[in-house]
Amino acid sequence: MSSLQSNVDSTNSETLQRSNPKKRRKIGHTNSPTLVPWRSDTQQRIYSSKLADALRHVLRRNHPPPPVKSNTGREVRETADRVLAATAKGRTRWSRAILASPLNRWKLRRMHKKVHKAATGLGKRPPETRRRLPVVQKKARLLSRLVPGCRKLSFPNLLEEATDYISALEMQVRAMTALTELLAGGTSQAAA
Amino acid sequence: MSSRRSRQQSGSSRISDDQIIELVSKLRQLVPEIRDRRSDKVSASKVLQETCNYIRNLHREVDDLSERLSQLLATIDADSAEASIIRSLINQ
Repeated sequence: MSSLQSNVDSTNSETLQRSNPKKRRKIGHTNSPTLVPWRSDTQQRIYSSKLADALRHVLRRNHPPPPVKSNTGREVRETADRVLAATAKGRTRWSRAILASPLNRWKLRRMHKKVHKAATGLGKRPPETRRRLPVVQKKARLLSRLVPGCRKLSFPNLLEEATDYISALEMQVRAMTALTELLAGGTSQAAA
Repeated sequence: MSSRRSRQQSGSSRISDDQIIELVSKLRQLVPEIRDRRSDKVSASKVLQETCNYIRNLHREVDDLSERLSQLLATIDADSAEASIIRSLINQ
């Protein structure tokens, strides 16, 4: 009854949100209503300006460009992720996890993946933890590895973090695409 | 509202199934793969799988964009970069 109602509410507010991008997304009775509205233009503008600032710092640091530097891409990625997490205002777990580990997340992740792959061949799943179907549990584990900082989360919290993370990533892609096109257009103008 | 509580040996026994269904449906709205198909016959595992794929795709897009951005930043100097960034902020 009330779950149906909240479903209708969220769908309504979602369609409203598409037409009026500044409206905050109204989530139902159980969840915190203070999540960031990733779809709004204002948020994207905030993120773009913060990202531009951060990138300018990176640019300045690399300005006498060392010729052998090949990981600027990763630097940009990490900067973008950090700015994204900062824009989330630390209300979500994944944003806190990103901000809390300034070390090279990707290197750690790659090492972790290798170790994990070696371990799963030997370990056996204990038979009493069949809370969900094992298939769903496996998928949930995959998901928890993709969203940063969510490895030990309960299933509903994991889903909640994942929804927020997906919206944030979409905004990140939009903002970075716009910035790239802008810079590319700027260079061609400057060259002409 | 009746929330089914299944007591298992694992400590997470207070999660209601209705809550999970609601979250899964919310997730379903976000992932475009599932949203564009007929949305009433998608199982939870499929939603999770498509979500993982979607997140991986987004990661890859961000990676590609970062590469392109870094190349662009390397080829232009600081002044025109700042100029175009300021221009962008004004134009938006």
